[in-house]
Amino acid sequence: MSIEIKVPDIGADEVEVTEILVKVGDKVKPEQSLINVEGDKAAMEIPSPEGGVVKEIKVKTGDKVATGSLIMLFEGDSEGKSASDNKDDGKDDAEKSEDKKSADKKSDDSKSDDKKSEDKKSDSKKSAGSASKDVEVPDIGGDPVEVTEILVKVGDSVKADQSLLSVEGDKASMEVPAPFDGKVKEIKVSVGDKVETGSLIMVFETATDDDADSDTSSEDNASEDTSKDDKKDDSKSDTKASEQSAAKADNKESTDKADKGDGFVENKAYAHASPVIRRLAREFGINLAKVNGTGRKGRVVKEDVQNYVKQLVKQAESGASSSASGAGSSMGFDLIAWPKVDFSKFGEVESKPLSRIQKLSGNNLHRNWVRIPHVTQFDEADITGLEDFRKEQNALAEKKKMGVKYTPLVFIMKAVAKALEEFPTFCSSLSEDGQSLILKKYIHLGIAVDTPNGLVVPVVKDVNKKGIIELSRELMEISAKAREGKLSSADMQGGCFTISSLGGIGGTAFTPIVNAPEVAILGVSKSEIKPKWNGKEFEPKLMVPLSVSYDHRVIDGALAARFTATLASYLADIRQIIM
Amino acid sequence: MSNDIKTQLVVVGAGPGGYSAAFRAADLGLEVTLVEARSTLGGVCLNVGCIPSKALLHVAKVIDDARDMASHGVSFGEPKIDLDKIRSWKDKVVGQLTNGLGGMAKMRKVKVVNGFGKFTGANTLQVGDTKITFEHAIIAAGSEPVALPFIPKDDDRVIDSTGALELKDIPGEMLVLGGGIIGLEMGTVYRALGSKVSVVEFADQLVPAADADLVKAYTKYNSKNFNIMLSTKVTAVEAKKDGLYVTFEGKNAPEKAVRYDKILVAVGRKPNGNLLDATKAGVEVDERGFINVDKQLRTNVKHIHAIGDVIGQPMLAHKAVHEGHVAAEVIAGMKHYFDPRCIPSVAYTDPEMAWTGITEKEAKEQGLKVETATFPWAASGRAIASARTEGFTKLIFDKETHRILGGAIVGINAGEMLGEICLAVEMGADAEDIALTIHAHPTLNESIGLAAEIYEGSITDLPNPKAKKK
Repeated sequence: MSIEIKVPDIGADEVEVTEILVKVGDKVKPEQSLINVEGDKAAMEIPSPEGGVVKEIKVKTGDKVATGSLIMLFEGDSEGKSASDNKDDGKDDAEKSEDKKSADKKSDDSKSDDKKSEDKKSDSKKSAGSASKDVEVPDIGGDPVEVTEILVKVGDSVKADQSLLSVEGDKASMEVPAPFDGKVKEIKVSVGDKVETGSLIMVFETATDDDADSDTSSEDNASEDTSKDDKKDDSKSDTKASEQSAAKADNKESTDKADKGDGFVENKAYAHASPVIRRLAREFGINLAKVNGTGRKGRVVKEDVQNYVKQLVKQAESGASSSASGAGSSMGFDLIAWPKVDFSKFGEVESKPLSRIQKLSGNNLHRNWVRIPHVTQFDEADITGLEDFRKEQNALAEKKKMGVKYTPLVFIMKAVAKALEEFPTFCSSLSEDGQSLILKKYIHLGIAVDTPNGLVVPVVKDVNKKGIIELSRELMEISAKAREGKLSSADMQGGCFTISSLGGIGGTAFTPIVNAPEVAILGVSKSEIKPKWNGKEFEPKLMVPLSVSYDHRVIDGALAARFTATLASYLADIRQIIM
Repeated sequence: MSNDIKTQLVVVGAGPGGYSAAFRAADLGLEVTLVEARSTLGGVCLNVGCIPSKALLHVAKVIDDARDMASHGVSFGEPKIDLDKIRSWKDKVVGQLTNGLGGMAKMRKVKVVNGFGKFTGANTLQVGDTKITFEHAIIAAGSEPVALPFIPKDDDRVIDSTGALELKDIPGEMLVLGGGIIGLEMGTVYRALGSKVSVVEFADQLVPAADADLVKAYTKYNSKNFNIMLSTKVTAVEAKKDGLYVTFEGKNAPEKAVRYDKILVAVGRKPNGNLLDATKAGVEVDERGFINVDKQLRTNVKHIHAIGDVIGQPMLAHKAVHEGHVAAEVIAGMKHYFDPRCIPSVAYTDPEMAWTGITEKEAKEQGLKVETATFPWAASGRAIASARTEGFTKLIFDKETHRILGGAIVGINAGEMLGEICLAVEMGADAEDIALTIHAHPTLNESIGLAAEIYEGSITDLPNPKAKKK
């Protein structure tokens, strides 16, 4: 029995396979990395959920995968390698060869021996005198149900109507009966899986059903042909019928292929729409089943298609609008062309491709920089007291061997969280249509982290609800993950406000770019001891420069000044944070 | 060479599909060359198919109607048949239409090249001495009648539909081999003109594609007119001086060979895909001569499309016309698809049989849950007044949505009435829509509204099975 290895929960986005780290035949331990993937925001490795021998690799470099995508098939440890024939590889392939087989078979019947080689081919795919048949969930209505018990095991002989599974839905539990006799060859579900009408649950081996099968289908085809006008009485009509049905099967197969090629969406579910509406939908490549009909009895009318398209366009425009690289493109502005310079004329040059993350974050940054009217508010906070306290606590933590180190950033996060509670506008996003503000009742902070692969922004959740120790641990973990390229896209989602700290490096101030759809970002530069006038004399104070960039459509200058001053005052006396 | 032509689009075959594609493409601004083996445009349909057969069927109908009048008090006496005059009238009908097409081609600046086109490469077609270099091509090569191997070939007593339309003489005993639409239409003509017509069909029903009830009504009406042998096939034909002796085998086969003066072979048509050297252009043609296309009528070669009989069943002019339009539009850059819900079929027999959308037979095969409603013309005032009550109108509805999926009519003018059902299917009308549409009274056409009322349970012209029980 083979085990399907799927991509674990990595969030909603698709990622690209950049490297495959194992090969067929490798013995793999649980947690061993199988493939490298790179998403919009980070690269990571996908670990193996269990041990086994790699039997088949279903992806290749460059493929897009998402949560749940099948990446490999493992031979279970228990089984060993002996069972690794091709019989139960990928169901689709098996089905296709089945179709082909029956078509081949028919032409063989009528055309005698000249196709023996093909015959042999199809025979070799048959397991002597038996065939695999898929068992699907019968019509149980529209809702998915959960598998609560599996009542048979691989190898069991099962009679038609014998119960195979217990399932439980919202309304009732029931047992799924076998649709025909057979031997259980493969069980495709496990307890806890959701299934619905038509889901593949098992594969049965049925005795000598294969031949019977192709016979019936040839009869079907023949009768279909008879119903057409072109076939009349004819002494050769029997052979003709089978030739025709064979040709028909081929015919169908290639038309199917062609259909896929030109992106024709077959509206299987009857869409209630007149010919002109169907034509309109085809022009836009719209699946009418997805359009809400507002006409009489739910008929899809022209306006419905138009509105659907408008909506899609709006979504597309508000989403990632510019993927242009900047160089050479005027980005929709009426700009003169980018200067073209042959740099090598002036000295030696080298071309180095941008990393994937660089390209992606570059696009995001460019969009944000162009579309958001930025203003940056500069301020500084006295962290003399905070630093004393922090050092004290670090010494204490070391003494107690707590395995945690408090950085200034954690305190800044805490102060930002408090300030965001006070200034909810800073914890908001503009609605898609730009007509309203969405205020978030949670405080998740994005922390910009510099990694060898590029800039990534993991998110620390519920900062306002967590203590310094917990946050420190979390931050350490997530930064380590970021540097190792193991962040999942779930780790990078849900941020309300971003902090970019260059304090460890240097600088007096900078102008960070807002991380859309957030509306503000805090940049932290290197702290420095400065003389501060206390009314009588200059005192040495440790001052940290703060740069708050904000979206001026949402936040006005006075508010930004107040927010930044409040943040500075919290940092100056962190006791205020617990007030 | 001066004979060489360079064109944006070449259309091979000027039948209904081909000329429609060519004209549509020209109207969309393309430079079009139309290649046709016949000397006139219009293909089989106009020259030796739909149109001349309708002219002869009109003659047959008037003869029959005049004869039937006797029982209503008007007698005309025996008809005097002047075959030459009938033939020339038929030819006039055909000439009028094909000349009209020629004129329209000129008007549209479509260049017509007469001759048999054969591909010589992916972008070249040879027609006689003329080499045509094209950017796009539409193959509309049509089909031809199937000939049977065991039937004498060079005997002018064996004819196909083209021969039958030539109307050389009126045979005393005629055998129609094949009980499909073409065989029955020609049988109808010859019978009206005075032949004794037998029809032999291998299947257990005439016009096997149609629903059995439709054909049953037809057969019942025609039981005196034709000698119909179902589930029977011809095994041998022996040509003797005094006639063709035919041996039958099957359920209703006569024991001994039967003598006929003429045999009309109408066992179906085969596509002409293999006659054009399409493979030299890289176009795949299957062993039967069909060319596979996608929903935009594109063959496996991107710039070559194919339409009409040559791409598959049903082999109908109106299907080809619509395909031709789509192919031309796709070539002109429009993102159109051939995407109909129904293609109507009509047998212009007497009575006519017409059906569209799904048939009951197909619904059963596909496991669809349908309910039918049939309005018998015996309850139609107009049918009674026309002394033609053998017909009925049947609508087929989705049992759950009450939406119309198809319909069938047998009776006089059935073909003319079918359009409403086609429109209803395409528009997704349900029974109530049709029942609430006011149909003029008294017409045969109102039977469609009345059938929908039967389904709805609002019928008053008949006992209502869905009425409240008292």
